[in-house]
Amino acid sequence: MKTLKVAGFLAFTSLKRGNFGVLLLTILILVLVTLNLLFVPSLLRGLVHGADGKLKDTFAGDIVIESALDNPLIPNLNTLIPKIEAIGGVVAVTPRNNMVSEMRYENERTSGVVYGIVPEREKEVFTISKSMVEGDFLASGDRNQIVLGIQLAGAGNPGIELYSRSLKKVHAGDRILVTFGDGIQKNYTVKGIFRSEFIQTDTQAFVSEAEFETVNPLAANRASSIRVKINDTADSAAIIEQIKQLGDGLRILTWEDYAGIMRSMTDSFQSIDTILNVVNLLVAGITVFVVTYIDVTNRRRQIGIQRAIGIMPGCIAIAYLLRAAFYAVLASMLASLAFLYVIMPVEARYPFHFPFGDVKLLIGFTDLTRAIFILMCAAIIAAFLPVWLALRIKILDAIWG
Amino acid sequence: MNRTQPPSLYAASSSVIELAGTITLAERCSVGGTACRAPYLKADIVVENNLIYNVHELNKTYDTGKVKIKALDSVSFAVPDGDMLAIMGRSSSGKSTLLRQMGLLDRPTSGSLIFEGKEVTGLPEGDRTRLRLTSMGYVFQEYALLGELTAHQNVYLPGMMLGKNGSGYKERARELLELVGLGQRTGHYPKELSGGEQQRVAIARALINSPSVLLADEPCANLDTISSKSVMETLVRLNSQLKVTIIFISHDPADKKYARSLIVLSDGKIAEESKAAKL
Repeated sequence: MKTLKVAGFLAFTSLKRGNFGVLLLTILILVLVTLNLLFVPSLLRGLVHGADGKLKDTFAGDIVIESALDNPLIPNLNTLIPKIEAIGGVVAVTPRNNMVSEMRYENERTSGVVYGIVPEREKEVFTISKSMVEGDFLASGDRNQIVLGIQLAGAGNPGIELYSRSLKKVHAGDRILVTFGDGIQKNYTVKGIFRSEFIQTDTQAFVSEAEFETVNPLAANRASSIRVKINDTADSAAIIEQIKQLGDGLRILTWEDYAGIMRSMTDSFQSIDTILNVVNLLVAGITVFVVTYIDVTNRRRQIGIQRAIGIMPGCIAIAYLLRAAFYAVLASMLASLAFLYVIMPVEARYPFHFPFGDVKLLIGFTDLTRAIFILMCAAIIAAFLPVWLALRIKILDAIWG
Repeated sequence: MNRTQPPSLYAASSSVIELAGTITLAERCSVGGTACRAPYLKADIVVENNLIYNVHELNKTYDTGKVKIKALDSVSFAVPDGDMLAIMGRSSSGKSTLLRQMGLLDRPTSGSLIFEGKEVTGLPEGDRTRLRLTSMGYVFQEYALLGELTAHQNVYLPGMMLGKNGSGYKERARELLELVGLGQRTGHYPKELSGGEQQRVAIARALINSPSVLLADEPCANLDTISSKSVMETLVRLNSQLKVTIIFISHDPADKKYARSLIVLSDGKIAEESKAAKL
């Protein structure tokens, strides 16, 4: 306790009476290092969170029910859907049919999946209807009308990711020719174009259930999949278990089963994050090492005097380690504040644009404490080495050189 | 430690003439009060209970790689508790080297150093540091104050390290600064003090843990005449008031008058050893 008290006293007085410019510069470098430590994980977290949200809200829903039988269509929708809706925690249910098709407009052609949907149900499960950039979303009973994702329509916007493979200049009100997988061809008026900012969704097209049944009469009272939205707080495993009780021929998937690409991408980001963290920590460690080394070299005589008057070497070492810890804690606190109250709000206003949506930086308490802890460890280890070397010098050599 | 002066050494301490009389370790032991033979020492080393230091056959050789310099050559002497001993000699005679061995700042090449009845030559560094903290006060030639601390903080730092009396060391530091005449300068940093004032702060610091001995390495070397006088008088007063043993180095023959005993070194050997210098 005495040792810690004296070490704290020595650390405090050296900080108080030390070179303010050096202190400021050291803190500044460590702030930048901390920001780097915080930035990549928060970008990654934001990326995953944003992509997961888009995946759930525009592509998969929370739970996907498919047929487990040879026949890919789930039968008896009229009785099955009310049963699913009756399960506690289920918010909404929407059936979908789909068929691969080719679309043409003037000399351009592209391919995509056309979904037959129940527009009113769809609006309760997905947010696509809120992402219209041209025209309107479908309404129940719409015939001969189709809604296109922007990556199919192109909409005269060369900035989109798949513009070269799109119909390029299709706008709401234009007519396109759709050739379905079963060979049926039909002209459709484009009722609207949506841009969900999730590329897998934006390569989809929608027609009403009634319209889809005209192309594929087998789809009546059947669906190739049923998408379920549940409460945020609901126990999805329990709901899945209850859905399984409704029939043997059902295969239940969660939105996470659709997130394979995202997981592989985030794994790559994790690797990048790890590499950047190692580099950052090396920078932090070397910075603290250099600052401490120069300081210790300049104060070699002072350290010698301290030892000569009976201050224990361990106490002197702890004083330097406390100072390094102070640098790290102050820098990481300043960096955290700057990150939370400057960088994140600014980034939220001008978010990074990714093919799977705008990404907002997201940081958790664990990430913050981890960054602070890692930086503090790096600083303390880096400070220890020069102090240890200085304390090995004979007292007289330290005082008189 | 009994601070009563041994009558055999100080019976005639008021006589200046007796300064010239030299005394050997063997003679001292034969006339000394309560002599004893330490079982762990060589047979010819005798320890007196009232001796604070017993230096025996101390050698220190500096090896520069090309040449070996013998800074101390079989130096033997004893210092009674409460003494005021001056170590004098020309430059490079080994004065500072000797004091550094006695202050446990350096290790002798060979020989024995007994401090307060205990062999300290081979003590591990941690124990030497603790002894410096608890029992020795060291005053350096160049003041050696810590520039980031005020005079008061400089003085109480070793007290804080020892931490004997809670936070009483702060009050004691103030008292010591008063004692050395710097009661009004407690909040001043070393660079705001004159050389003499800094040296007096260093003396106060050396006394904070009530050491058995205060070792001063040419405390007046960098001071003007007035400051030197002030510092030396401070040492005399401390020796008298606090009964602390003081061993100081000086190259100024005039400083003999402050000492009770005298050792003159020449080429690392004791050339002259006198008792009973006039206070």
